[in-house]
Amino acid sequence: MRKIDFGEKLSNTLYLPFAFLAMVAMIIPVYILFKVSVSSPQEILTAHPSFLIRSFTFNHWRQILRSGGLWAPLTKSFLVATITTAAAVVIAAPAAYVIARMPSKIKYAIVLSLFLLRMFPEVAIALSISVQFLKWNLIDTNIGLVMAHLILNLPFAAWILVGTFETIPKDLEEAALVDGAGKVMSLLKIIMPLAMPGIAVAAMFVWLNSWNEFTYALYLTMSKRTLPLQTYYYVVRGGWFDAATYATILMIPVLLVTFFLQRYMKGGYLSGAVKG
Amino acid sequence: MIAPLLLYILGFTLYPIINTVIMGFQDSVTGIFTLENYREIVGKVEFKSALFNTVAFALMSLTMEMVAAMGIALVLKRKFRGRGLLRSLLLVPMGVPTLVSGVAMTYIFNIHGYLNEMLWRLHIINIPVDWAGGGFKTLMMVSFADMWKVTPMVILILLAGLESIPGEVYEAAGIDGATAWQTFRNVTLPLLKPSITMALVLRGIDAFRVFELMLVLAGRTMPVISTFAYDEYNTYSNAYSSAAASTILVVIIAVFITAYLKIVSSGEER
Repeated sequence: MRKIDFGEKLSNTLYLPFAFLAMVAMIIPVYILFKVSVSSPQEILTAHPSFLIRSFTFNHWRQILRSGGLWAPLTKSFLVATITTAAAVVIAAPAAYVIARMPSKIKYAIVLSLFLLRMFPEVAIALSISVQFLKWNLIDTNIGLVMAHLILNLPFAAWILVGTFETIPKDLEEAALVDGAGKVMSLLKIIMPLAMPGIAVAAMFVWLNSWNEFTYALYLTMSKRTLPLQTYYYVVRGGWFDAATYATILMIPVLLVTFFLQRYMKGGYLSGAVKG
Repeated sequence: MIAPLLLYILGFTLYPIINTVIMGFQDSVTGIFTLENYREIVGKVEFKSALFNTVAFALMSLTMEMVAAMGIALVLKRKFRGRGLLRSLLLVPMGVPTLVSGVAMTYIFNIHGYLNEMLWRLHIINIPVDWAGGGFKTLMMVSFADMWKVTPMVILILLAGLESIPGEVYEAAGIDGATAWQTFRNVTLPLLKPSITMALVLRGIDAFRVFELMLVLAGRTMPVISTFAYDEYNTYSNAYSSAAASTILVVIIAVFITAYLKIVSSGEER
C-alpha cells in the first residue's frame, strides 16, 4: 500500500461538499426566477428580500394570462418554431441522406463546413438579412422569421441527420433494390422509418432553437414580438414580476424537452446545439 | 436533393456575411469604397470599451468555466451517492434559454438582489454593491452569469475526455507512487489536452459572440462588440458602421475557426 498524500486527502474530503455546492448552484437561479414570479411585491421590492417564498401569490401569473400581452407572442413563437421545424426537416433530411452516402472525404468536408457556418456571429448575418428583408417587406412577418431561423437550423439539422443516416447500413437499401423495390420506394419504406428517431430528435432540437431564438427576432421585429422579445421588453421596462413570469413561461417547454432529450446530450451535439 | 440546402446556405448565410463585410467598407450615402466607417467607430469611446470588454469577458468567463468544469468533471468521475442527481441537475442550466438565465441573474445581482442580501446577512458587506455599475464588478457579474449557463456543457466535453483515459494509466501512476497532484498534473492534464483545447476554442467563439446576456445584464454600461453593432444599427440607424463593427467580429471569429480547424486536423493525424 502506498501512503495517502495531502492532495489525495484533500480531494477525498472535499469532493462531496464541492458536489453539493455545484448542485445547489445549478438550481438557485431557476428557483429565484420562479420565486419572483410567485411572490408578493412587498417581499421582493425591498432592500432585504427574503430567500423563502413567504407570501405565495398567483397574481402576476393571473394578470399576465388575462392581460392579452401573452397570447399573441406565444402563438407567434409557437407557429414560427413549428413551421421552422417542418421546413428544416423537409429541406435537411433528403440532403443529409445524400451527404451520408457520399465518399467519406467529401462527406467530412461538408459536415465540417456545416458546423463552421453556425459559428459566424449572428449580428453580422442578421444585419444584412434585416436590410434585405426591409426591401422585401418581410419585417414583422412569420415567414420572414421562419426564413431567418432556418439560417441557424438548417446546417444544424443537416449535421445531426447526416449522423443518423450514416448509422443505417447501405446493405438494407441494396437488399430492397434487389427485391424489386424502386429507389424511391426503398427510401420511403426502409430508410425513413429507420431514420425516424433521429429525425425526431433533430426536429425537437430545431424547435427549441427557434423557440429560444433572440437575435434574429430582435433585428426583424418592429411590433409583432415573439415570446423572448416580449420577455426582453419587460426587462427593459423594469417590470420585475412580468419579466420573471414571462421568462418562466418561456423556459418551461425548454426544460421539459431538455430532460426528455437527455440521452442525446453529449459533447458533440452540444457544441452546436443547446446554445440558446 | 442536396441543392435546396446548399442554395439556402449560400443565399442566406454566406451572401449576407460577404454583404456585411462589403457594407463595412462602403460610404453610407454614395456607396463608394472607403475606410470612413472604421475610422468613425474606432474613434468612438464606446467601441474601444466594447473591444476591451469583449476580450476581457472572454478571458474571464473562459477561465472561470474551465476551472469549475474541470473540478466538477473530476468529482463526477468518482463513484458516490448523488452522482446521478448531480448529472441530471447539470441539465437544468442547459434547459434554460440564455435570455431567461440573464433575467434570473438580474434578480440575483440587482442592487437589492439576492447576492447582496446574502453577503449582508453573512456580515460581509454593509452597503449593497452595485454590480451593474460598470468596471470589473460588472465584468465579474456577466462572466458568472455566462458560467452558470455553459459550464455544464464544458463539463460534458471534459467528462467524455476523462472517461476515454484508460484505467491502466492511473494504475501505473499509482504503482510508481505518484501523488494525487502529480497524477493530475502529469497524467490527466496531458491526456485531456485535446478535450480541453476543443472546449476552449468552441467556448471562445461563443464568448466573442455573446449578445443577449450582455443586453439583458449590462445594457449600455458595458457594451461588447455585438451589442455595439446592434446599437449602431438600431439606436443610431447606421447600418454601415454596424457592418464595420460586425466585420471586426467576423475576423476575430475567423481566427478562432482557423484555430479550430488546425486542432481538428492535427487530431486526425494522430
